[in-house]
Amino acid sequence: MSTSRIDGLSENTSRSFSLGDLVRRRPESITFMLLVAICAIVAIVNPAFLQPSTLIDIGRASVVMGLFALGVFIILAAGGIDVSFTAIAAFTMYSLTVLVLNHFPGMPMAVIMLIAVAGGALLGIINGLLVHHLKVPSLIVTIGTQYLFRGFLLSFIGTVWIMSLPPQMGAFGRMPLFQFESANGALVTLPVYFLILPIAALVTWWILNRTLMGRAIFAVGGDANIASRLGYNLRTVHVFLFGYAGALAGLAGIIHVCANRQANPFDLVGTEINVIAAVVLGGARITGGTGTVLGTILGVLLIVVINSVLVMVGIPSTWQRLVVGSFILLAAAFFVTRQRKK
Amino acid sequence: MSAKEHSEQGSGPFLELRNIHKRFGGVHALRGISLTLELGEAYHLLGENGCGKSTVIKIMSGALEPSDGDIALDGQTFSSLSPIQSLAAGIETVYQDLSLLPNLTVAENVALNEQLVGANGRLARLFDRSRLRQTAERALAMVSLPTDRAFLGTTVSDLPLATRQLVAIARAIATRAKLVIMDEPTTSLTRREVDNLIRVVERLRSENVAVLFVTHKLDECYRIGGHAIVFRDGQCVAQGLIEQYTKKELTELMTGRSIGSERYRTGKPAETELFAASGLVAPGVHDISFTVRKSEILGITGLADSGRNELAMAITGIEPASGGTISVDGRKVAIRRPADAIGHGIGYVPEDRLAEGLFLDKSIFENEIALILTRLSNAFGIIDKNKGRAIAARLSEEMRLNTKNLDLPVGALSGGNQQRVLIGRWLSIAPKLLVLHGPTVGVDVGSKDMIYRAIQSLAEAGMGLVIVSDDLPELLQNADRILVMNSGRVVAEFEAERATEDQVYKAMLTSELEAVQ
Repeated sequence: MSTSRIDGLSENTSRSFSLGDLVRRRPESITFMLLVAICAIVAIVNPAFLQPSTLIDIGRASVVMGLFALGVFIILAAGGIDVSFTAIAAFTMYSLTVLVLNHFPGMPMAVIMLIAVAGGALLGIINGLLVHHLKVPSLIVTIGTQYLFRGFLLSFIGTVWIMSLPPQMGAFGRMPLFQFESANGALVTLPVYFLILPIAALVTWWILNRTLMGRAIFAVGGDANIASRLGYNLRTVHVFLFGYAGALAGLAGIIHVCANRQANPFDLVGTEINVIAAVVLGGARITGGTGTVLGTILGVLLIVVINSVLVMVGIPSTWQRLVVGSFILLAAAFFVTRQRKK
Repeated sequence: MSAKEHSEQGSGPFLELRNIHKRFGGVHALRGISLTLELGEAYHLLGENGCGKSTVIKIMSGALEPSDGDIALDGQTFSSLSPIQSLAAGIETVYQDLSLLPNLTVAENVALNEQLVGANGRLARLFDRSRLRQTAERALAMVSLPTDRAFLGTTVSDLPLATRQLVAIARAIATRAKLVIMDEPTTSLTRREVDNLIRVVERLRSENVAVLFVTHKLDECYRIGGHAIVFRDGQCVAQGLIEQYTKKELTELMTGRSIGSERYRTGKPAETELFAASGLVAPGVHDISFTVRKSEILGITGLADSGRNELAMAITGIEPASGGTISVDGRKVAIRRPADAIGHGIGYVPEDRLAEGLFLDKSIFENEIALILTRLSNAFGIIDKNKGRAIAARLSEEMRLNTKNLDLPVGALSGGNQQRVLIGRWLSIAPKLLVLHGPTVGVDVGSKDMIYRAIQSLAEAGMGLVIVSDDLPELLQNADRILVMNSGRVVAEFEAERATEDQVYKAMLTSELEAVQ
């Protein structure tokens, strides 16, 4: 590679501000623009979109996916990938519901959530240890554990669809942060559990940007061998990463149950690609080492908005994949050409 | 800090290795190495690839445990060091690959490790951003890099190689290093950048830091001065002030045989013109014309931004020329992609053999036949392995590889042997013209010798060769003519036999000198 050519480049990057620069430095700005554009178009075609009830629906629908996405993002930042998080969520939520229902009907909601987090973290740590000690790519390991966790759930815990939840869980799913009556008289509720997503996003942001662990995660995502040579303990990083993503998945699982007021052991698994798509649309590179929490949340919103608004503008919901697919390709093409130009 | 400094003054050597042995399975890599390193001194660890240099560095940095022997560090004796112990004692290594994290910023690359070492490797710690900035600013100032916020926040993958080299050194000194080990730091640098590095080393020494270089470039060792430590076959064969040895003596100590600095070139170019470029225009190349005759060796040199790299890439189709003509054997040809160049008998051995040329995890055999797969395969696309092996064996012989085992992965070979595999691969298509880009970058003296001999015998056999290099002794010893480029143009032409290094170097800097005056 010629030095002079790169010399020219660094001049370019430090020169004036431009859209290209912005996109290169902050790829999530593309996600943001896409999101705004879609919302604007939908609002013009169908002004009902701007009703508070729609926005609240979108907020509510992004909680579970958002929690998953934060976990996927942090693993992606370290150069790994996880496809077992839905199985972890399904395992945690269903086993825990069964446990509470049959053995501890009086368990307080806070304890239930703590156990969900701890259980998810435990399963995640298994992932982390396997990834570290087998020295196998995390994609392979987590495909394996996805089957393992889910197989264990369906073989040993149960396959029955639980329609009547323990009362405290149902109550938590309904507990309003605020509610109001919409124009057509229906009661619109933003549930308390919605708050968990912004809190989790803040915590994740804080870990990534304000702790040595966070920097270590990006360092490992940049080059694991070099990071290890510099003194970063890869085992600690792997265990933390997957444990944290597992904890988020466990939390997402229990919220999923409470929000839907039923526990279906066949739920969630199969939505991994949707979540990974959201993270990638949020500007994180699939090869690791880049991305932001804000971008991840924007990516999730983008996917949720596409899912929920297509219907509002009269496009059949079967088109959703088509649209998401084209957006991913478009965004990817855009990021890549920007990279090349630099 | 100051208290620490006082306690160390006059308390003997900083690091002492005593009778260190290292065995890897059956291989006895180090056979009783004893070394003493003092603060504020410069050391040059010299030796051929595979002589034990990297093993000794790894023992100092704590990456490897010696099989036998003691290490005395700051007066304390250890049987081995751990990486964190070694870092905490102030031993910093700048590895050949620089070990920078491409996705992190300059500031993070330079100063994050200080906090990691401070936390003893524990990660559940807050990350102190203002300390990060202060440390980075101080360390960058030491190596004369900018310390403004924009530079601190630049992602390392956006930096040119020479700057990255300095960033890696800045990281090494950010933790108040006492000993900085640099593994072939100048391999990828041009002369101007080397001058800068030498100034940095002088500044480090004046601050009582010891510097240990691992290098193949003897000229630079003399410029820096200090002590020479020569290894051969896992033993230390000489140790002393570098001025006490001539270049020839050092080379003999390293290789155990005598290799002169006389010209390798003995043949004469033929009369027939083989290759002609006329009015060539490409990015960074302005209107360049030259010819190469059969059996001729043409050297092309210049600073890194002179356009020499771009010229090599233009005539080999990697970054095709946008104007001008190229003729081979008197016929005009169009070269728009590497396949065109290959089709017209122009081979290219790139500078960065690891990134651009070799499949490291594949065998010598598979690497050697990579260009002739279609020729070796039958109608069903099945490759005739026996024929391929015969060809690979012949090429390895011709290039004097030091192993007969063609199934060895190329990654396991030394730099010099890797380069010979790469050149051998090009011989498989019997090119008329072979363009060699930095053929001996990162190659030890012994392998250099063999590569030069191979180049000469190729020329004898009628091949035209173009060597693009900034290793001036290399061009003076091997070429018939040397073209010097500057700002995309040829500014001087020398007859290699009569030119001196000084003349050529002056020509390389011409336009800059004019600009200064």
